[in-house]
Amino acid sequence: MGETIAWESDMEKALSRAVAEKKPVLLDFFSPG
Amino acid sequence: MDAVTYPTASVTEFINKNLIPLRIPSDSEPLATNFMIKWTPAVIILDERGKEHSRTVGFLTPEEVIPTIMLGIAKCHYELDLFQSAIHCADEILNDYPKSDAAPEAVFLRGILGYKSAHDPTNLRKAYERLAEEYPKSEWAKRALPYRLLH
Repeated sequence: MGETIAWESDMEKALSRAVAEKKPVLLDFFSPG
Repeated sequence: MDAVTYPTASVTEFINKNLIPLRIPSDSEPLATNFMIKWTPAVIILDERGKEHSRTVGFLTPEEVIPTIMLGIAKCHYELDLFQSAIHCADEILNDYPKSDAAPEAVFLRGILGYKSAHDPTNLRKAYERLAEEYPKSEWAKRALPYRLLH
């Protein structure tokens, strides 16, 4: 099994990481069903 | 995207290295309403304050997703006045993915970035010339048409 995308599921946590790591956020809205 | 695009090794590596990946169900409120989500997949580039800078809706192949996201990052940097970072992204698209769907817009953006960073309008004319030569049928060649008159 290779590397997988390390998806966050919480906006606030993603934005905190974005500040700390100086990276943009890739927000993917997906259909749950 | 889940079945083909995201599991592709080069795509996974690119996203993990360059972005904070965040997945939200399209029925998750209030985010779905706040971002006006009507169709999926909807892939959006946000800055660290949560402000949207780029959006694409619909399936992206593994070949197109990296240059498409890179263009979104370039727009994010451009709109934050980080011109050199934006130039780097645009040049990377044009060097590594010149045949991608994102390339013509990257040429257009590169022209604007050259003008904004160097205050030299010939960058806009060069963008038009490149679009006319390499991507003559793209909508971006049409949008750049007035720049042919600049000196």
